[in-house]
Amino acid sequence: MSLGKRFLRVTNLLFLILVAVQFLPDRTAKPAECLNVLWFAIGLEILVLIVSALIKKPEGLALFLDIIGFVYVFLILWTLASAKLMWLKETLFPPPGRVFAQFITDFPKIMVNIQSSLSIIIQGYLLAALVSIPLGLLLGWKARVGNAATYISKFLSAIPPIVYIPYGIALLPTFRSVSVMVIFLATFWPVLASTMSGVLNVEQKIIDSARVLNVNPFTMLFSVILPASLPQIFIGCNQGLTVSFILLTSAEMIGARDGLGYYVKNYSDFGDYTRTILGIIVIGIVVVAISFLFNKLQQHLLRWKK
Amino acid sequence: MSKIEISHLSVDYTERNKHFTALNDVSFSVENGEFVSVIGSSGCGKSTLLSILEGIRHPSEGSILIDGEPVRGTGNDRGVVFQNYSLFPWMTARKNVAFGVKQARPKLSKAERFRVADEFLDRVGLDAFKGKYPSQLSGGMQQRVAIARALAMDTDILLMDEPFGAIDAKNRTILQELLLKLWEGDGKTAKKTVLFVTHDIDEAILLSDRIVMMSASPGRVYKEIIVPFSRPRNRSELVQTPEYSAFRNRLLSLFYGDIGDKIGGDEVVL
Repeated sequence: MSLGKRFLRVTNLLFLILVAVQFLPDRTAKPAECLNVLWFAIGLEILVLIVSALIKKPEGLALFLDIIGFVYVFLILWTLASAKLMWLKETLFPPPGRVFAQFITDFPKIMVNIQSSLSIIIQGYLLAALVSIPLGLLLGWKARVGNAATYISKFLSAIPPIVYIPYGIALLPTFRSVSVMVIFLATFWPVLASTMSGVLNVEQKIIDSARVLNVNPFTMLFSVILPASLPQIFIGCNQGLTVSFILLTSAEMIGARDGLGYYVKNYSDFGDYTRTILGIIVIGIVVVAISFLFNKLQQHLLRWKK
Repeated sequence: MSKIEISHLSVDYTERNKHFTALNDVSFSVENGEFVSVIGSSGCGKSTLLSILEGIRHPSEGSILIDGEPVRGTGNDRGVVFQNYSLFPWMTARKNVAFGVKQARPKLSKAERFRVADEFLDRVGLDAFKGKYPSQLSGGMQQRVAIARALAMDTDILLMDEPFGAIDAKNRTILQELLLKLWEGDGKTAKKTVLFVTHDIDEAILLSDRIVMMSASPGRVYKEIIVPFSRPRNRSELVQTPEYSAFRNRLLSLFYGDIGDKIGGDEVVL
């Protein structure tokens, strides 16, 4: 790629606009702390320049710059609408600089909340996957033509797991255990259903070629049926992960004492909308990061697919 | 004692309340180290016969003895190559072969398994493609991997069910010669006993010691013919000889004669 292609891009122009916008006069009562946005933008732009200089694939660069460009546009509009034009009340709609400042002061607290939310997700989700995948393999393999378990799991996976929360609160000692249980259920049924349907759909020729190799039942189940059904299993795992996040944050808003959902709910109750917005952004980033890692894992495990 | 002895094999099945006979009283035997082709038109039960030998289907009547022992299911004394490649798509070529070796020769260490896999992939000319997944290989290459796997398992018997049926003419020729070369070997090791199902007469003549002709509805053995050409055989020379043409014509007339017998007579309306 030529130097022009690498560095003369719309995203870099947007960066300059974002910087320029910060120097317009503020109309807020309290300081808008636009300097924070400036530093953030400069940090991001340094990253952009490094990536632009090093990246090999033109499509990869285009995608990366589009994403960053979107962030710049978002920050330009946000800065203009809040600090510079004051379209809404300052308390309801804080300028981005203030949210950044809050992020820095609240950083330790936010990390604790992330950790709390993630540990619940991981416990409920992993437990569900570890039980439902082997169980689905076994049930699916026992009756390759479909059986009662297929219908039961399809039926039960259709129940929105959030309805278990009130009953879970009555049943279990801590709110944490309720959250783990709800996430477990939210993941268990879809993963079980998708694993069974994966097993049911494994091509007969794959099973026959394993059989003529004289494999034992354990090898058949875990070295043949499991990888062959993996594409289907991932469909259930994806569904479980999406629902888990929705459930967890909802559950935390109902009755938790920590976690990201609690952070958002608690501060909005106190009218602290800077922190409310910050919480929402952090949740967004955490979800995107986890989906990204999960997709990488999926791509790696299914790299043999065309 | 013959290596494989098939006696009075019948397979019946019922589908939608209709009764079918896939095989009717099929008997023949295969000697140790012999290459036998089974040919016949589609529906003659040749694949059914092979799946019983593989151990994934059971006969209604009759039995198959291998070394005098009845076949009761799958076993690692038989290596199989199917028509549709039958590789595991999530394993690389190398792992596919090594997996077969692991099943057939469990005593080998992991390193030895992969050494054997590499050796056989080299022999089928895929040394540069060991790390590729089946989806990255052409049909012909996938079938080479399947052949490498069956050979690397070092079983006494090879069962091949139209292994080159889905491969284009040029690659088919190459693979036939490769198989022949690998089967004939260097003369030091014992030859494998091969049962090879095909519907291609030239393929059967080139490869086999003996040809078993089957006819359809119900599937039964129609004729057994010994292939009179000496080995090693060279395709391009062989096909030019008058003996080859004469033999081929004889087979063809037997083949179509059988069909003529079936549809001949007054019932034929064209």
